[in-house]
Amino acid sequence: MLMIKNFTSIFWTNTDASTNQLYTYFGIAAGCILFLVIFFTYYFSKKYRAKQPDELPEQKEINHKFELFILILAICITAFFLIMSINTMQQIQDIPENPKPDLVITGHQWWWEAKYPQSGVLTANEIHIPVGKRILLEVNSADVIHSWWVPALGRKIDMIPGLKNYIWLYADKPREYLGACSEFCGIEHARMRIRVVADTEEDFKKWTESQLEPVITQATPLFDKGKALFEQKTCTNCHGINGTPFSENIGPNLTHFGSRKRFLSDMKPVTRENLKEWLTNPQNVKPGVKMPNFIFNPDEIEALTEYIYNLK
Amino acid sequence: MSLFIDIPEDDDQLPALNTGRGKLIWISSVDHKQLGIMYLWLALFFFLIGGIEAMIIRAQLASADNDLISPELYNQIFTMHGTTMIFLALMPALIGLATYLLPLMIGANEMAFPRLNAFSFWMTCMGGFLMYFSFFSGGAPDAGWFNYAPLSENNYSSTAGVDYYLVGLILTGMGSIGAGLNFVTTVLTLRSPQMKLNMLPLFAWMIFINGFLLLAAFPLLNAGLFMMLIDRQFDAHFFIPSTGGSAILWQHFFWAFGHPEVYILALPAFGIISEVIPVFSRKPIFGYKFIAASTVAIALLAFGVWIHHMFAAGMSNTVNGFFAASSMLIGIPTGIKVINWIGTMYKGSIRMTVSMMFTMAFLIDFTIGGLSGASFAIVPIDWQLTDTYYVVAHIHYVFLGGTAFGIFAGIFYWFPKISGRHLSEKLGKWHLWLFVLGFNMTFLLQHVLGILGMPRRVYTYPVDLSYWEVLNLISSLGAIFMFAGIAAFLWNIYVTLKKPRQADDNPWEAWTLEWATTSPPQLQNFTSLPPVHSRRPLWDLKHPDNPDKKLN
Repeated sequence: MLMIKNFTSIFWTNTDASTNQLYTYFGIAAGCILFLVIFFTYYFSKKYRAKQPDELPEQKEINHKFELFILILAICITAFFLIMSINTMQQIQDIPENPKPDLVITGHQWWWEAKYPQSGVLTANEIHIPVGKRILLEVNSADVIHSWWVPALGRKIDMIPGLKNYIWLYADKPREYLGACSEFCGIEHARMRIRVVADTEEDFKKWTESQLEPVITQATPLFDKGKALFEQKTCTNCHGINGTPFSENIGPNLTHFGSRKRFLSDMKPVTRENLKEWLTNPQNVKPGVKMPNFIFNPDEIEALTEYIYNLK
Repeated sequence: MSLFIDIPEDDDQLPALNTGRGKLIWISSVDHKQLGIMYLWLALFFFLIGGIEAMIIRAQLASADNDLISPELYNQIFTMHGTTMIFLALMPALIGLATYLLPLMIGANEMAFPRLNAFSFWMTCMGGFLMYFSFFSGGAPDAGWFNYAPLSENNYSSTAGVDYYLVGLILTGMGSIGAGLNFVTTVLTLRSPQMKLNMLPLFAWMIFINGFLLLAAFPLLNAGLFMMLIDRQFDAHFFIPSTGGSAILWQHFFWAFGHPEVYILALPAFGIISEVIPVFSRKPIFGYKFIAASTVAIALLAFGVWIHHMFAAGMSNTVNGFFAASSMLIGIPTGIKVINWIGTMYKGSIRMTVSMMFTMAFLIDFTIGGLSGASFAIVPIDWQLTDTYYVVAHIHYVFLGGTAFGIFAGIFYWFPKISGRHLSEKLGKWHLWLFVLGFNMTFLLQHVLGILGMPRRVYTYPVDLSYWEVLNLISSLGAIFMFAGIAAFLWNIYVTLKKPRQADDNPWEAWTLEWATTSPPQLQNFTSLPPVHSRRPLWDLKHPDNPDKKLN
């Protein structure tokens, strides 16, 4: 029983009750139809199996009344589901005329850029939202088509370059929600996963404030060496860090990177070891990724790790 | 004999079967039977290639974080698997059966345009091999069979793979357009003089309607393919948003073709089922008129439902609602056909041949595919499940459980006519049970994987998601059963073709005209035809005391 609950919890905790209701109704209707088809196919094949090799049944073609009955029944079922779906669509997708998004997510090959227009927070991959509040999400893409899908938070929406799309997100419990890019977007499509952290109102406020604070600089020699390398080795051509002159947005923004739990769009936990492995050769960890192998020597990796890991 | 009437014959002798010597004669042949057989061999060849690609995909996905093949190769393989199965296996198989049988079923000796017929075949063949040549030229296409822009444009797909995809499909597309034109014209002009349109065997009727679908759908695809080729080769901007194009325009072109394509693959299979079930139930089809009319309805509606492939693209509720309604509407004629087929079995006298068993597997598995398809018309469900493994399960229930089971039923049914030999029923049952069980094992659970959140087209998945690994493993094991089933099928073909010809002209005691000639037919299909006054001329011939209702 627990297994079944576990099994369904991933999906059926969808906070949107009307979609769940549609699932249930459709499941029942489809189950009945399928049962009837299987039953009659099997039953007729047994009951009307030829007994003699040259047996000939009555050459009757059709029962018009039955055909008409089925046609009317099918139209009724269809009309029912059409009305149900249009109602539900309007509930789910009631986007205002001039939408003011709470959160803007831009898809990149293969990571998520997250901007909070109201507070000005800019971060990547680890996305925080407050619990118990409808969040208006704007999505778009910097390169190819991606698709945003966190099943428990709301509908799926494509992220199309040149277009802005909007949906509502809603989290009812403070926990982490998993999702994935759902439109094929190239080599690392499979590794473009999403983790959304739903915080209580208070925690979310705290998180926002901490994101807005300037980066804490620890003036150890190794940290300073890492910082110098970061600028000298052209890392800043792609990665921005708020509070420094570098604001490029080609790769993930690394401000407060050390405060994130996971990196590489939810692929690995942020640890020194993982960071070192990544810097040694990104193409080994996530083949095809846009970050080239810089062929750092071990000292440089040590320093860069110290720097990036301590961006808290 | 006054009972038989002569049919008109062309004056020119066309190069064909008996007009020359040696195997090379096949290359220059314009005989519809030879071309039909070549289509079927081509389809079988690419079906095996596509099947091997499928096995590689399932091997890679059998465990989490697997690195059997690189992501680049995985993307090439799933792209080629989809493209191959749709354009190079299922379509040639259906067009091949149609090319072989259409003239025979309507009492004609040839297609309307024999040379165009050969042209169509060779274009399909060349397009297919050209696409596969990409593997030797730096990389196969890797943007999916749907080839969405801008991922398929120069900036994101730098190998020549997508160019091969474009040119290859343009060629096969031209072939398909030629085939469509030929089917329509043949039915309209070459029917036996007594055969009115409402007396066509249902398979011929479906091919006739399918001809219109081919004629209307493939130009859309080819237009889109040419535009993308211009983008890639001459740096135009049709589908590149950063320079003023539209990424979503490609999707409109592709699906305006793509949805009719689903019916292009489904209608001929419906036709096969509509021939096989009555013959093995020993009674006429339940509701000929309904099946024929609903086919026309499906063909027309097929051009007004394509947005349901794009419900997640962010169009307004008005647009989505309209296409939800049309998509649900198209489900009605399709669904009722299933009831007609089951109704045909009611009070029949059923012969359980392998062909009949495949149609019964079709009835059940196609219903599953149809129902999961109907769930996509319910837009909120589509907003959750589109682009997940639920869709992968759905298309395989439609194309394998539907179209391919239909083709297998047709092959077992018409094999005696085509080759003069019966496929072994015993090996056929091995084939059937291995394939049907393996198929359901592979794909039934993929519905669940989709509901659990597994996106399509992923080369791997993380290890820590509950049930993903075990479900994927079961799915992969099922593929082995399917593979064994196909091995039984190949062996069956091999041993059967080794045997001498022994089939009767009409071994199943069927009622349509293709069974009124020898097995296999001579170069000239018919020298004379039985009178045609109803939909079952051979029934009337055999049962003069109890003929069908006269229709002319």
